[in-house]
Amino acid sequence: MKFWFMACSIVFASMPLWAAAPVAEIQSMLAKPKVLCGRFDQRKQLAGLKKPLASNGRFCVVADKGVLWRTLEPFPNTVRLTRDEIVQLQGDRVAMRLDAKQEPAVRMINGVLFALLAGDLGQIEKLFAVDSTIHDNSWRVTLKPHEPFLAKAISSIALDGGAYVKNITISEASGDRTSIVFSEIQTGAAAMSVDEAALF
Amino acid sequence: MFAWVWALVVGFLLVHIAYLWLGERIAPDTDILALLPVQERDPVLQQAFNRMVDSAQQRLIVLVGADDWAQANRAADAYNRVLAHHPDLLQSTDPMTDHRDWLALFQSHRLNLLTPQAEADLRSQPKQYWVDIALAKLYSPFAGVQLGAWRDDPFGLFGRWVQARAQETPVRPRDGRLFVGDGRRQYVVMPFTLRVPAFSMAAQQAVIPLLEQARQAAHKAVPQVEVVAAGVILYAAAAGAQASLELSTIGFGSLLGIIVLMWVTFHSLKSIALVMLSIGIGCLGALSVCWLLFERIHLLTLVFGASLIGGAQDYGTYFLCNRIAPDTSALDSWQLLRRLLPALVLTLVTTVIGYMGLALTPFPGLRQMAIFSAMGLIFAWLTVVFWFPILVLTGTLKSARVVNWCAISLERWPLLRLQRSGLWVAGLFIVFIVFGFSRLGVQDDIRLLQNPPKNLIDDQIKLGKLLDAPTPAQFYIVRGATSEVVLQREEMLKERLDPLIEKHVISGYQALSNWVPSSRAQAAGRNLIDQTLLNANGPLAAVAARIGEDAKWVAATRAHLRATSSSLTPGEFLKTPASEPWRHLWLGEVDGGHGSIVALRGLTHGSLPLLQHAGTGLDGVQWVDKVGEISSVLGRYRKYMSWVVLLSYFAVYGLLYPRYRSRTWRVLAPTALASMATLALLGMAGQNLQLFHVLALMLLLGVGVDYGIFLHEHPSRRDAIAWLAVGLSALSTLLSFGLLSLSKTPALQAFGLTMLIGTIMVWFIVPCFRNDPTHPSEYRTEP
Repeated sequence: MKFWFMACSIVFASMPLWAAAPVAEIQSMLAKPKVLCGRFDQRKQLAGLKKPLASNGRFCVVADKGVLWRTLEPFPNTVRLTRDEIVQLQGDRVAMRLDAKQEPAVRMINGVLFALLAGDLGQIEKLFAVDSTIHDNSWRVTLKPHEPFLAKAISSIALDGGAYVKNITISEASGDRTSIVFSEIQTGAAAMSVDEAALF
Repeated sequence: MFAWVWALVVGFLLVHIAYLWLGERIAPDTDILALLPVQERDPVLQQAFNRMVDSAQQRLIVLVGADDWAQANRAADAYNRVLAHHPDLLQSTDPMTDHRDWLALFQSHRLNLLTPQAEADLRSQPKQYWVDIALAKLYSPFAGVQLGAWRDDPFGLFGRWVQARAQETPVRPRDGRLFVGDGRRQYVVMPFTLRVPAFSMAAQQAVIPLLEQARQAAHKAVPQVEVVAAGVILYAAAAGAQASLELSTIGFGSLLGIIVLMWVTFHSLKSIALVMLSIGIGCLGALSVCWLLFERIHLLTLVFGASLIGGAQDYGTYFLCNRIAPDTSALDSWQLLRRLLPALVLTLVTTVIGYMGLALTPFPGLRQMAIFSAMGLIFAWLTVVFWFPILVLTGTLKSARVVNWCAISLERWPLLRLQRSGLWVAGLFIVFIVFGFSRLGVQDDIRLLQNPPKNLIDDQIKLGKLLDAPTPAQFYIVRGATSEVVLQREEMLKERLDPLIEKHVISGYQALSNWVPSSRAQAAGRNLIDQTLLNANGPLAAVAARIGEDAKWVAATRAHLRATSSSLTPGEFLKTPASEPWRHLWLGEVDGGHGSIVALRGLTHGSLPLLQHAGTGLDGVQWVDKVGEISSVLGRYRKYMSWVVLLSYFAVYGLLYPRYRSRTWRVLAPTALASMATLALLGMAGQNLQLFHVLALMLLLGVGVDYGIFLHEHPSRRDAIAWLAVGLSALSTLLSFGLLSLSKTPALQAFGLTMLIGTIMVWFIVPCFRNDPTHPSEYRTEP
């Protein structure tokens, strides 16, 4: 059950990396490169903590393969999401491994990812009510869960961007809040470093 | 006078049957477990078994699988559309219960809930390990949306516990459905609740075609779909349909056979009507008494009872045969009866003794069959004795040509004499017996009692594997004075089972203590967390330093965590809807104490001794193997009944001795020899000896001795009447039990086959043991 929620959150977090609206217009605004890498800066505001927690790192999205999410500061932590598994690495140690054979949510995430790449947003609309606005070359989308059990975990997800996603904010029902800013976007085969490629 | 009394009894009988038929609308019972022995010595054990069975009885699980999820969904939709029209029969059990709601109860006790692995980590892992986990959870964008805020579970211990609970089943929610996969195919899991009783034949006749229709709809939607279904009703329906077919085959087959036999013998419709009358009253009487005693009647009882038709006609036939005998023409019917009565009494008593063998077993189904058959015989017998003398007047029946054939065949039948040829025969017989016996194995498998169609078993196995479901037949019972003691004992047992999971002997266990640990374990867990993680210099303080929080924050967080440390009790858990799948595990207050079940998943046959061993030596823990128990009961009773059969020969000898004196051995020997020959033949045919062969030998004693009695009541070599009675009786017995040997229930088949072979043997051997008229010393007429 935990994994299910967690897996969903991965979907929601990684989703805006390509696109995030049911609207065909937004869809057409997004570039859909084969490889997409960049920097992220994350701020988390947690219940019971005075200061927000800042972290940053690099991420890569490879079509037909999956997502690599590497936190570099304040300490290294890597999450790799491929077709058959989700692996979390803490240093060299595998902190967690989720197999698609045991947890179908893994497949579902991949299904959603690949659906997004193909421009099929049906999967997202099944789980969320989508509210979108467009201004010139940028767009903004708010997602609110349909399912009550999801709504108890996530109150909303907001994202905005242009050709690529720029910002994402996840507001949890518990009051915790995560904001991620993407920058230094690179595309094409050269975008991924050698050690990143080795992690796939 | 007696005839009137009997008419009154039969009148009551008819009223009772009419009431049952029209008023109560009785239908036979198809409960497949009715044949299994009841655990009388240990009510807790029986209750536990009933719980395991009852929890499954009204359930039906259907898996619809295809190569991909979308296809599986489409097929499942088609399947459901068919069932949706009949909410009165089957109700879909809503799979999407609110997962957060079931967690709410545990959330408020989360500091007490630890997996064994987490407990081991708490004891062994360094401080840095916990700091890393807490920080990773803090910074990861993905770990946030879990089971509440970060500070509710900073070290992920509750998350691990919830994950362990989720892994008690491989079934997962997916797109508003339940999913399970085996790497090759993806299945939609659809649990249904039956709204009609599973053992009602009317319900079966409504539900089974509906399921078939739904299956076809699924096939139409997705041609390569795989539909796997399992449920008690499927087994009950298969058993019911098979038994109904056998009941009508045996019933009509033997009735028809007897009518033909009667016609050929007596050439009179009246004789047929008379024999049918005695059989009819016998069957109705059996049904009536059985219903009064058991308040239900099992379909298999009726199948077995159908063979009664062959036995119940004996008395009527015997009377009628003697009525046509030339030497009785001077007697009126009451005088004739008086002359026949000793033999009639002896044959009834010996046959009823034979059926009582079945009643001595602890199988309720067999007891019912024994009572049914014995009652049927008694009612038929009383009808013959009270009514036949009135209904059959002197000279109403004429002897037919058959009597002459009998006379000729009997005259030419070889007699066993103490001479060279006789010794040769005896020698050959001994060789044959020894050889046959040496080939005879034994078998006490539970499958003797029921033999469901292979496709049902295949489906069941497949479903059990896919769902990793626990077996209902093997489990542990844990007992203790209080619920706390029971939970503690469960935990001790689980410590022994955990290594077996690692060695893949089993894949897991289900126990209430998985969800509600004992108070002792909960206290130990929260103390361990408190000491290891929350102390002044511990990981929590180290995390605070890393994120720039002060000692006040540490104290506040610790207080926040400790607020969730009150003990969870079984009562609290059992009150929530989330406990529904586990409630059957908790027996509650039983037998002056408390009890529970620990069920096992992923069990294989080979691992049973290991599991039995794991439970030994633990206080209040008992290993239950219902399959093994039934097999051992079958084996024990096979041996026990063998002795009973042997002793019965002595008892029958004693019973016959006052009448036949030195000739008693001649009455008994044919049956004894026929029994041995039957066993030898079974051995040579490669059959394994089982309880039901032995039980049939018991009945064979009752039936076979009748033939001896008939012949020895008429010692004259030319007296064909007795030989005719034997022939008629043997033929009708052969017909009934021959048809029973076609039964698909292995137990009934073995019973029928033994009776078939045995009866032929007795029939052919019996005349060899007539008195030898050349030895007049043995020839003594009795009154």
